[in-house]
Formats: sequence, C-alpha cells, structure tokens
Amino acid sequence: MTTTASSTAVAPARPRKPRPSPTLVGGLLAALAFTLWAGHQISFTLAPLFTNFANGWQIIERFLQPNWGYIFRVWDAWVETVAIAVVASAVGVVVGLVFAFMASRVTNRSPWLYRAVKIVLSVIRSLPDVAYVLIFVALVSIGSLAGILALIMFNIGIAAKLTSETIDAVDAGPLEAADAGGAGTLARARWAVLPQILPNYLSYCLYIFELNIRASVVIGLAGGGGIGQVINVQFSRFNYENVSAIVIAMFIVVLAIDQLSQYLRRRFV
Amino acid sequence: MTAPAARTARPQEPSKARATLVWIGLAVLLGGAVWLADARWDKLPGLLTQGWKYFQLMSEGVLQNPFTEPWSGYWTRAFDAMMESVYMAWVGTLVGAVLSIPFGFLAARNVAPQWAVQVTRVVLNLIRAVPELVFAIVIMLPIFGFGPIAGTIALGVGAVGTLGKLTAEALEGIDPGPVEAAQASGAPRSAILRWAYWTQVLPEVLAFWLYRFEINIRASAVLGIIGAGGVGTLLSQLFSKRAWDQIGITLLVIIAVTLVVDWISGSIRHRIISGGAVRKDAGEREQDKAEVAL
Amino acid sequence: MIELKDVTVRYPNGVVGLDGVNLTIPDGQFVVVVGLSGAGKSTLIRAINGLVPITSGSLTVDGQEVSGASKRELRRLRSGIGMIFQSFNLVKRTSVMNNVIMGQLHDVPAYRSLVGAWTKEEKEIAYRSLERVGIVEKAWTRASHLSGGQQQRVAIARALAQDPTVMLADEPVASLDPPTAQMVMKDLQRINRELSITTLVNLHFLDLARQFGQRVIGMRAGQVVFDGTGAEADDAVFEQIYGRSLTADDVLPGA
Repeated sequence: MTTTASSTAVAPARPRKPRPSPTLVGGLLAALAFTLWAGHQISFTLAPLFTNFANGWQIIERFLQPNWGYIFRVWDAWVETVAIAVVASAVGVVVGLVFAFMASRVTNRSPWLYRAVKIVLSVIRSLPDVAYVLIFVALVSIGSLAGILALIMFNIGIAAKLTSETIDAVDAGPLEAADAGGAGTLARARWAVLPQILPNYLSYCLYIFELNIRASVVIGLAGGGGIGQVINVQFSRFNYENVSAIVIAMFIVVLAIDQLSQYLRRRFV
Repeated sequence: MTAPAARTARPQEPSKARATLVWIGLAVLLGGAVWLADARWDKLPGLLTQGWKYFQLMSEGVLQNPFTEPWSGYWTRAFDAMMESVYMAWVGTLVGAVLSIPFGFLAARNVAPQWAVQVTRVVLNLIRAVPELVFAIVIMLPIFGFGPIAGTIALGVGAVGTLGKLTAEALEGIDPGPVEAAQASGAPRSAILRWAYWTQVLPEVLAFWLYRFEINIRASAVLGIIGAGGVGTLLSQLFSKRAWDQIGITLLVIIAVTLVVDWISGSIRHRIISGGAVRKDAGEREQDKAEVAL
Repeated sequence: MIELKDVTVRYPNGVVGLDGVNLTIPDGQFVVVVGLSGAGKSTLIRAINGLVPITSGSLTVDGQEVSGASKRELRRLRSGIGMIFQSFNLVKRTSVMNNVIMGQLHDVPAYRSLVGAWTKEEKEIAYRSLERVGIVEKAWTRASHLSGGQQQRVAIARALAQDPTVMLADEPVASLDPPTAQMVMKDLQRINRELSITTLVNLHFLDLARQFGQRVIGMRAGQVVFDGTGAEADDAVFEQIYGRSLTADDVLPGA
C-alpha cells in the first residue's frame, strides 16, 4: 500500500480503477469481429421481412388453413413414427449405458479404454442426425430401418454423455466398500453404481424418447420413414394445407408425450 | 432395536411380480414397435458388409493427396459449406439470444407480474415444442426464400424457447440480497434489473448461449436438407449423386470442425462459469440442467 | 496373522501416512487403533487390504504379501478381509439384502450378478449375517429407510457375508449417537469372540478404546507411539499419544 509522503494525508491513496482484463477485451473484440464476418458471409439481412412479406404471406396463409381431415388419413405414418422412436430409444439407451460405464473414470479403470471411448463418443456426437439418416439410407435404402439406425447412433451419443456425467458424480462410499469386498469391475458397476444413477438414467431414457419423436420430422425428410416422409412428399407437392395439419398434430403429440413422460418421471423416478 | 439374542423371524421375500410385469410390458411394447415400424429388417445382416464397402470408398477420397485437383476442390468446398453452417449457427444463436432476454425477464416469477409470467411461459413452451425445421418450412422459406438466411432466422427463433426458459430459471435462482439492497436505496426499477438481476445471471446466461451455439451447429446442418444452405445442402447433394469420396471428405470436415468448435466453446464456458461466477456450484448445476433442457 | 515390517506410505502429494511401522497382529485379536485425525490410523487400516498402496516395507496378511499382488490376487485377498466405514457406504437405493450380498460378489459369476439372480445359499449366508447383527427383519427394506445404527449393522453384516478372517473398521461409530455406538462396538466384540475374526478398529474416543481394546495401538504422525493393553492405556498415555492434555471431546459423551 502506498501512502503519500506528506504527513497531513491520513487517507490511503484511492486505488485506480482496474483496467478491463486483456483477455476479456480481446475475447469481446474477437466475438464482435466473428459476428460481423459471419453475418457478411451469409449476407445476413432482415430486409425480406419487409420487402417480401406480402409474397411470403400468401404461402403462410395456406399454412394457416390446415386440412384437418388429412391427419387421420396418414394414420400408418403416425404409428410408424412412434414405433421408430420406441425401437431406436430402447436400443440406443441400452448401448449408451454400456458406453457410459466405459466413459467414466469411476467405473473404467483402464486409462487406455477410457480415452478411446471418450474419443469415439465425441466423434459419434459431432455428426448431426441428418448425416446419419443420409448414411443409413445409402446403406439400407429409404425406409424406417434407416431412420431407426440413424436415431440409434444419435441416442447412443446423448445417453452415454448424460449418463457418464452422472456416474462421475456418484457417492464414492459404496464403490470403496465394493472394492474392499473384492468385487470385480462388472459387479461393482452393477451393484455400487447402477442403483445410484438409476433415477437419473430413467429420466434420460424418457427425455431421449421425446427427442426421437421430435426428430421424426427431420428423419423423414431425409428418407428415414415415419411422418416426416409424409411431410416431405406433401411439401414437395405444395400441399401446404396438409403439411400444416400434420405439423399441428405433431405438436399435440409432442405435448402429450411430454406430459406422459413427466407423469412417468414423477411416478417411478 | 431388539437384542441380538432375540432372533426375529426372517421376513418374507417381497414378490417380484410387479417388476416382472413391467419387464413383460416393456418387452411387448418393444416387440410391437419392431413389428409396427415396418422396417426392412432383412436388410440388417448386410449392413456390415455394405458399410465396410462404402467406408472403403469414403476412405479413398480422404486418403488422396488433398493438394491436387480435384481433391483440393472437394476439401475447400466441404470446409466452406461447413463454415457456412457455423456462421448460420452463430448469427442465429445471437438473434435468439437477443430476443430471449426480454422473454427471460418476462418469464421470471421474481421479476414480472403473475399474468405476464403465465403468458410468456406458454409462448416459450410453444416455441420449444416446434422443431426449427418446421419454423424454416412454414415461415422462413416463404419470406426469405432458399438460402442461409431462412435457416439462420429459424435457428434464432428456435433458440428463443430454451434460452428464454433457462434465463428465467437463472433469474429466479439469484441471491435476493442485492435486490433488496438496491430497493432499500431507492433505485429505479430499470437500474435494479440491470445491476441486481442481470449482473448476477450474466455468466450463466452467456454459458447457455454458447451451449446453444454448439447445438445450433448440428441443427443448421439439418436445415440444409430443405435447401437452407450450409453443409446439410452439400451433404444431401453428394448423397443423391452417391459421390462417396466427397462424402468421406465432407463427413471428416464436419467431425473436425464440430470437435474444434465444441472444444473452444466448451473451454470458454468453463472459464465463464468458474471465473466469473461467485456461485460456482450453482453455475455448474445450471449447466447440467441446461444440457437436459436444450 | 498380519505382519507389518518397516511399512512406509507416502501419498502422491507428499504427505507421509505411515512412517516405518512394525506391527504383528496375531489371529483373533481385537485391536483398537487410536490417534488424532491425520495420525495415520486410516492409512494403516487401508494399507492392510491394499486400498492404499504401501511405498516401502513389507505387509503380509496370513503370509500373503499385499503390495505387488496382482489385481486378481488382491481381489481374492480382499474377499477374506471385511471392512466397515464411518459413513457405512451402503448403496442406499437398493434393498438391505442386495447390500449384504455385495459382500459375496467376489465369487458370484458375472452373468448372475448382472441380473441379481442370487442362489439360495447366497441368500442364506446373507440372512445368517443379518441375524448375527440382529437386523434380519429389515432384510427387504430399502437401505435408505434405516437409521444410522441400523445401517452400520447392515454394513457389518455385509462384511460378515464375506466370511472374513480379518475385520477392519475405520471409525465405525464416529457418525453414531453414544448408545448406538456402544451397541455397534459390542456387536463387533461379540463377532470377534464368537467367530475369532481378527479385528482392527480405529477410534478416537479413548473410553471406548479402553473398554473394548484387548490391545491398544497409539499412533502419532504416522508412527506407532504406544502398544499395550487397554488397561495400560491410562490418561497419561493418551496425552502422550495426542500430544496435548485431554478434553471432554475425547470421551464418548453420555457413555
């Protein structure tokens, strides 16, 4: 602390206002520069909102007159969408659970395997669901099998990530007890870890099922079957009334499943 | 507690009927779904051999000297398309972030009046329930036409739902002390919102924005398949041509760019949360919640 | 018989847990280890079943060297050593029965342990262990529904289900109220006498140490500074072990 030389000054010198840290300033400048650059690259403009609104409105108006009758005409596609979500979620969360155990230091004591699994999982997660649908459509042709396989890959990534983070945070006491009793790796994971993570894991399962229903539009557009495929066909035929009816029904289905899974969560978790 | 000497009878082992029923129910559900999915299960065995064949074709593209024609062109094209997706995600996230601030305040119970909270929450839930793709198809494409802007705005609108909800939850979780202090000193409402509320949630909210950016990178690829630009458009073109060498290159570019952006964004998020926030634990908990919600 | 010859434990952060400890513990003895926290009691107990690896020296249990044992050998060795913890370390979200059977997991094949298909014998062992600590009526209760004292008894049953020759207890009563602490200590003593299981218990209450310790070992800064019978361990000895005069905190209140 510096004090002034004169004996009359009793108050210590006022500290100078600290300069903002260079990292912060640099970071903000970089973010600003990147924003401008990105906006320029995609020629970002809101002008069409004013100039082209009237034209666009003509189409939007057609969306606003949904053809309700169409919803039940494509009943099979709805059933298929739910069936795809059930199969893909079931397989995805089971495989994801196995990966989750291998992707946590708590349950995987081999540093090599741990690193390898972590890398594989980040690669799996870095591809968007559409890419998977396109790949599997090429492998097994258009249809719900491609959608199921694509969603499985997508689900493994999420289930493994969320669950392995939960495993990282379990109470270490039972693990120590299992070790002291000479339990093997598998038994230890099953009896000291699984019961602790089970509530969280079950709620991830329900969450993933919801995600899969939501994703069905995307899946179908890329050729993976279900209601999305119907949207794709109707959209390319400019049957906007049919598209909006399905979209609204889809919205209600998502809300209903959301409510159901919240109920199940309260009931069982 | 009974004395050890007084042996009590062993209790009846509880019936496993309920658990068995649940398992049977799940099995029936799964079996029914396998049946109703109308999938060509017979194609499944060929998956590995087919996959291996195409994997080899893709590797051929990747393993060619990337500095010779036409491979250099493929790499550049994939990279440009992927960067377009990143730009779309970034601008879209910013649009959504800016829009989500007023929504967040209006949906926080300790900020806005009861009726405003109810109305805003319903709006936010509606937005969250609609996939970005639907926004793009129904509203953005008619107005903005094919191209990245429609996709960007769709990503922005889609982000408002989750970001608004998370901002509201963060605002509801603040320490009420500073608010009371500011009120006690007679500060105007706007100053309280800016200094007592916003400063407390800023680190968390910034972290949510970055997390949403990571998610939007993947989502922008999805929008590409309906012609909204970015790597999705390129990918669907390549798949319809079955140009496996270029597909291999493009997939690799997607993976690499996504991993790098995730890594950068993730380390900034950790810095913001651990450096900026006093309530470190709370911040980390919020992150966990965000990962489930987003 | 447990034998420690010049055992030193140095943690990766440089802290010395044990400093040249020599000890011989014959079969069937009931040993109480006392000392302040950080004196090395916990390290001593955890070194015996290999949870803490020793840095130098030799530590044998029934002639088997603990350090340098392969993973498989270590698991087999640990299966013969029961352990009880201060915080019980039960899996709270599952039944008492499953918790007790956890003690036998070392020789249940993986395919059965994964689905929880226990045999009649395994359940019988679990029942008998629970009967020995007088809590069999709770066999199918969720562990989270039990009181602290009950949980510690289940933990003892879990250790018993291993059919151990050695029982290690790390501050088993530190989280319990005084009457419950007395009861748990009596359980341990009774088990030691009935089954002649060599028992090592860490305690910091000196009255409990005197009451139950057939042999009392005092530790300070990683070294053994006292080794004698419970009767020999008078206040002067404890003041020497603790390096300070005794306070009311050092005795179990109300016991």
